[in-house]
Amino acid sequence: MRVWSSEHVFSHPWDTVIKAAMRKYPNPMNPCVVGVDVLERSVDAQGRLHSLRLLSTEWGLPGLVRAVLGTGRTMTYVQERSVVDPAEKRMELCSANLTLTNVVSVSERLVYTPHPENAGRTVLTQEAVITVRGIGLGSHLEGLMVNTIASNAKKEDLALPDGPSSPWRTPSDARLERQLLFHSDVFAKLLHLQGDSQKGFLDKHRFLVTFRSYC
Amino acid sequence: MPSESAAAAAAAMNSVGEACTDMKREYDQCFNRWFAEKFLKGDGSGDPCTDLFKRYQQCVQKAIKEKEIPIEGLEFMGHGKEKPESSS
Repeated sequence: MRVWSSEHVFSHPWDTVIKAAMRKYPNPMNPCVVGVDVLERSVDAQGRLHSLRLLSTEWGLPGLVRAVLGTGRTMTYVQERSVVDPAEKRMELCSANLTLTNVVSVSERLVYTPHPENAGRTVLTQEAVITVRGIGLGSHLEGLMVNTIASNAKKEDLALPDGPSSPWRTPSDARLERQLLFHSDVFAKLLHLQGDSQKGFLDKHRFLVTFRSYC
Repeated sequence: MPSESAAAAAAAMNSVGEACTDMKREYDQCFNRWFAEKFLKGDGSGDPCTDLFKRYQQCVQKAIKEKEIPIEGLEFMGHGKEKPESSS
């Protein structure tokens, strides 16, 4: 079930965007992501870098998790596979949640390429598939995701601390990293929902879910 | 010193395995430098981070097994655990 796709243009060249994409956590836009690990990494015969990363995400409301899932575990995990082709200037990422799949399955694909008309800009095309089995859940979830994305987009102009800077990470890089997060990591964003939206979402979702990978 | 601020910037992220966090940060620093200065500029040969990565990987593999995180298609996963389909 295809729920959401979008295209976004960043006002930075492709190299800058890719470097930021590799470093986008920690990120004040989503403090739920508390760990990032690289599980596999290699360069193939065509010179492309393949990586498998694990994102450790803490649920926003531990008490709520226990109430719904009957477990004390508050960590959930997202697996992200990526391929960076420096010659073609293309980065593709595929991510999916590994846990909570009995509630919801979010599979997401992102492709970053240089803007065809302006080398100083980068195009991101993004698709996210949310799979839930239940009555009327698709449209409810879709509404929730659209609201979340819209409210994130409004926050884009708020001043946020840039964090420590260095020759390798300027304030401009930090802002770009936050921008990247507005347009990716759908599942981690879902966990970042606050209060009633999250409770409403969980209350409706005690169904068996078929995990289907989009990647 | 610039490298210390860069280290501080990378330092805030943890590893899934608490014992692996220092190794992770050291590896990340090495990788980010190689990625930006060599790989993206067309020189993908000679990855200087392989030793750091091996040690870090061993630590993370152990943590993943202990926490029973269901990674798909990962070579080092010895047990072919099926994803449980449980209700609720």
